[in-house]
Amino acid sequence: MRIDSQVHREEPEESAQTLRETVCCDALPIWSNQVAVAKRQTEEAVTALTQRFEGIVTRIDSALGAVQQGSGGQLAAEDAKQGELHLAEVINALKSIQQSRDALANDIRALVNYTEELRKMSSEVESIAFQTNMLALNAAIEAAHAGELGKGFAVVAHEVRNLSEAARNTGKSITGKVALISAALLEIGKTNERVSVRDQQAVTDSEEHIRTVLQRFTERTQQLADIARRSSDSGAQIKDEVCESLVQLQFQDRVSQILQHVIGSMREVQELPAVAGSQEAGAEAKGHLERMASTYTTEEQRRIHRGLEAQTVAPQDVTFF
Amino acid sequence: MSKKILVVDDSSSVRTVARMALRERGYDVVEASNGQEGLKALDADRIHLVISDVNMPTMDGISFLKEIKRHPNYKFTPVIMLTTEAGEDKKQEGRAAGAKAWITKPFQPQLLVDAVAKLMPA
Repeated sequence: MRIDSQVHREEPEESAQTLRETVCCDALPIWSNQVAVAKRQTEEAVTALTQRFEGIVTRIDSALGAVQQGSGGQLAAEDAKQGELHLAEVINALKSIQQSRDALANDIRALVNYTEELRKMSSEVESIAFQTNMLALNAAIEAAHAGELGKGFAVVAHEVRNLSEAARNTGKSITGKVALISAALLEIGKTNERVSVRDQQAVTDSEEHIRTVLQRFTERTQQLADIARRSSDSGAQIKDEVCESLVQLQFQDRVSQILQHVIGSMREVQELPAVAGSQEAGAEAKGHLERMASTYTTEEQRRIHRGLEAQTVAPQDVTFF
Repeated sequence: MSKKILVVDDSSSVRTVARMALRERGYDVVEASNGQEGLKALDADRIHLVISDVNMPTMDGISFLKEIKRHPNYKFTPVIMLTTEAGEDKKQEGRAAGAKAWITKPFQPQLLVDAVAKLMPA
């Protein structure tokens, strides 16, 4: 009974073993081809993805360059500074003109003072002429009293009177002209002062207007520079993210190597000779697995072969020799 | 004139990551997908440093490294191995063949650039 039952149990196992072996033998080339296709498709997809990412990084670089060049934040700030310097030069030039005008006003005031002195001097000339006339008149009277002897003196006194009259008229004329000059100088002084006040106001207004324009320009360029900086920062962050993604895509190299080993191992199994007897087959299988293990290139393969869990591989340090 | 670096790897994505990192730092980059192509690139150009994978078809990285060390023009050219191989035995094999540094993938681009700068000062 026991023997019978053993026979009955062994028969299905043997046929199951044969079935598994048959299915495996038939399926192995199919599996290896399918794994090869999956490996190729992964490689192609990752290669295409990597190229796309490289293209994105190149375009980001180019865009960042254009943003920095286009905003010209630094250059605009320098232009604004230069503008401030030029404005200061213009204002100084205008102030220098203003000072010259003030000096001219002082000169005019000095001339007005001189004309006042001239007016006094011409009045004195007039007064002297009047007194000389009176003196000549007295001299003529005295000459008349002297009779025949005073006739010559009377002629001289008459001429002196004529001269003093001429001197008086000239004095009057000088006084009139000096008054005209004085009035003209006063008018020039007043006009100069009016113009000076207007100029001063114009300089102040211009300075304020130009400063306002420069201030707005500086603000606008600052805003542009801020926008450019923010764009650059965002672009740089995107670039870093893409570069980091590229680092992660290196998994394809490891996956390809592992899959290549799986494909190779499957093909080797297909080529294995038929071995009679379970002991010989076991020894042959052990040797085959050891040879397979010796070809591994990654730590994951070695761990899985030893029945351990594969761990995520993090970027490692460089070893210098 | 910028220094020229030969990157040899059968993985296009790894070559791309290396190329981008190195070009960003001003290096010229020449690429090859296996040791055989790498040797042709060495003869066609003046290369200042080589970065090579280990497991590649046609000619693997260690054989390529040995060929470089036999090459009259590149005997003293620094070689960095960039590979998924992290085993100490393989590293020592690389060291014995003349490699100057060993970087295990996945790698941070900055790490590669720093190693290049250390082995090839400006």
